[in-house]
Amino acid sequence: MIVPMTKVRLLGARKHLPEAIRTVQDAGVLHLAQPAALAPGLPSAPAATDHRRIRQLERLLADVQFARSLLAAPSPLRSPPVALPDVHALAVWARLGRRVRRRAETLRDRRLALEEEQALVARYQRFFKAFASLELARHRFADVSAYHVVLRPDQSGQLARLRAALAERLDNTFELLAEPLPTGETALLLLVPASVARRIDELLAEANVQEVPMPAGYGGTLAEAIPRLLRRHDEIPAELASAQRERADLVARHGPELARAEAAVHDELERRRAIGLSASTMHAFVMEGWLPSGTESALAGALDQQFHDAVMLETVGREHWRSDDAPVVLRNPRLFRPFETITRMLPLPRYGTIDPTPFVGVFFPMFFGLMLGDVGYGLALAALSAVLHLKTRPGSTPRAVAEVGGACALFGVAFGVAFGEFFGDLGRRWFGLEPLLFDREHEVLAFLGLAVALGVAHIVLGLVLGAIASRHTHPRTALGRLLSAAIVLLIVVAILAAMERLPHALLMPATVLILIAFPAIVILEGIVAPIELFTTLGHILSYARIMALGTASVMLAIVANQMVGAMGSVTVGVLFALLFHLVNFALGVFSPSIHALRLHYVEFFGTFYSPGGTKYQPLGHWSPPRERPA
Amino acid sequence: MESFWVALSAALAVAIPALATAWAQSRIGPAAAASLAEKPELSTTAIIMIAIPETMVILGFVVAVIIMLRGGGGAG
Repeated sequence: MIVPMTKVRLLGARKHLPEAIRTVQDAGVLHLAQPAALAPGLPSAPAATDHRRIRQLERLLADVQFARSLLAAPSPLRSPPVALPDVHALAVWARLGRRVRRRAETLRDRRLALEEEQALVARYQRFFKAFASLELARHRFADVSAYHVVLRPDQSGQLARLRAALAERLDNTFELLAEPLPTGETALLLLVPASVARRIDELLAEANVQEVPMPAGYGGTLAEAIPRLLRRHDEIPAELASAQRERADLVARHGPELARAEAAVHDELERRRAIGLSASTMHAFVMEGWLPSGTESALAGALDQQFHDAVMLETVGREHWRSDDAPVVLRNPRLFRPFETITRMLPLPRYGTIDPTPFVGVFFPMFFGLMLGDVGYGLALAALSAVLHLKTRPGSTPRAVAEVGGACALFGVAFGVAFGEFFGDLGRRWFGLEPLLFDREHEVLAFLGLAVALGVAHIVLGLVLGAIASRHTHPRTALGRLLSAAIVLLIVVAILAAMERLPHALLMPATVLILIAFPAIVILEGIVAPIELFTTLGHILSYARIMALGTASVMLAIVANQMVGAMGSVTVGVLFALLFHLVNFALGVFSPSIHALRLHYVEFFGTFYSPGGTKYQPLGHWSPPRERPA
Repeated sequence: MESFWVALSAALAVAIPALATAWAQSRIGPAAAASLAEKPELSTTAIIMIAIPETMVILGFVVAVIIMLRGGGGAG
């Protein structure tokens, strides 16, 4: 649900403004309103014009944060207690931030250069041994040019052709030495008289082989480069370790002070920005903001304790503020909280509308379970979710995914029992598991009916929620949505009556009511209403995907089971069946997730969801990233 | 002979929308991937965009099942 908010106004003597803001920051509950929402005509507080100081603090904070990120300095477990920074402390932190940032940048550049060089040396290392042994032969010849070539494994036939071409053109005045590499390639050292060196390039091009390119900065030839590269190969790890030690030393020496600086400067910056969100006269100031209903007394108490009557907190009547301006904070029961991960993938709902999380918490695992619908696959998913749950941190997104997975597994097992499926028809064959609801393999139309019926229920629920959400702001739209829901239900009644699943006598009244409701909805919502109604009917049919994916899942499981008898050897058949079940399980988890998401985002949310809410960000103290609310 | 036409109709009811879905997704997929490279926060929109054309083949599958059941070519 969306937490109800209360708008409050702070009024007080202007001289108390900085202290009042500090008290508000200590309370950490007030989301300050933008100046546009304040009483018009009131000038901003003078300190708000202190843009220069704000820019200085922003630069300082950027330096400190960048230095800490470069050093990968660990954040403290909780916000460090920081006193109000004076000018001297800020100047010290500014110098420290700049100095550590520059040093950290130098260390980072050095590490990157060393890692790049290490990768280059590693790339050439496989040639070293081969060419080093070949180079020994080179010293037997005077005034020769050397060519270093590597033949790919598929070019092994080129060696004989190259040797023949060289013999023909150079009249045997060359030496071609070959050394196989562990990778299947062949290293070649070609030694020719310096006088014929120019013709060799053409010959190598004709033979479609290329010289090993020389790494820059290690000499002009591979003969010069090899010893240098080998030397660097031994030196680089020590240099990397030295850079790492230097970084660790910087973290140990300056990490805690930088963390304190980040917290203090962040808080100071927030306070200065908050002053910009106030308005003042010669003697008084005013600020407005929102806080969760029920917390205003705590803030009022803190202000009263510090300022007595000099700073007052008053509640702004609900009729004086618009829902669109209020910030949004979602708070759901523990059971539904993991499903906020799904809701948060879209922009926040606007204040005053409906948080769909509880509905997602019911329907998402239900749709997933209907599509998976197998005890065996459900238990496998439960095991995976349990492992993920054990390996993740409370409050993290992977933990929420594990909990959503657990709910989906529960529904998968429940519908598996209802459909009598355990790895397809294995349960039936092994221990006589029979469907309690219907057999998905044979009763496809019954499954289709169930899927579409769920679609009707889901869409009608969405339309009703849409009507509730817009009843105050857009009453005509609310009425139109209710009428749409009624028309959908009447169409269902008419179809069932025509198919004689309901008494046939209902057909005529339902049809007449549809004919009456149709012009009414056009009057209420305009000419687009019939188009939207047909879109809604299309959305309901879209729920047929539950049947389609569910049927495909059970059919694939049955095919996997049939492989045991179809492969000749039982062992091979069992292995293929297991592999096929594994593939089906992967598909059975992935596809239902995507399609259940789509049914929610497109079909369900489309009927009522109203995105565009402002995130609730109260003025508070700096907190380590892991403590910040998502 | 009738069962041949029933089977062919059912096959076409799936095959033609499947081709259409494949064509649509072949256009949407690269565009979504390119968008995600620049704006990872668009992942939800990308998922929705990629999943939207699948409605065609799913409804095709439903029609094929109905053809098979009404035409007597399948279990039911």
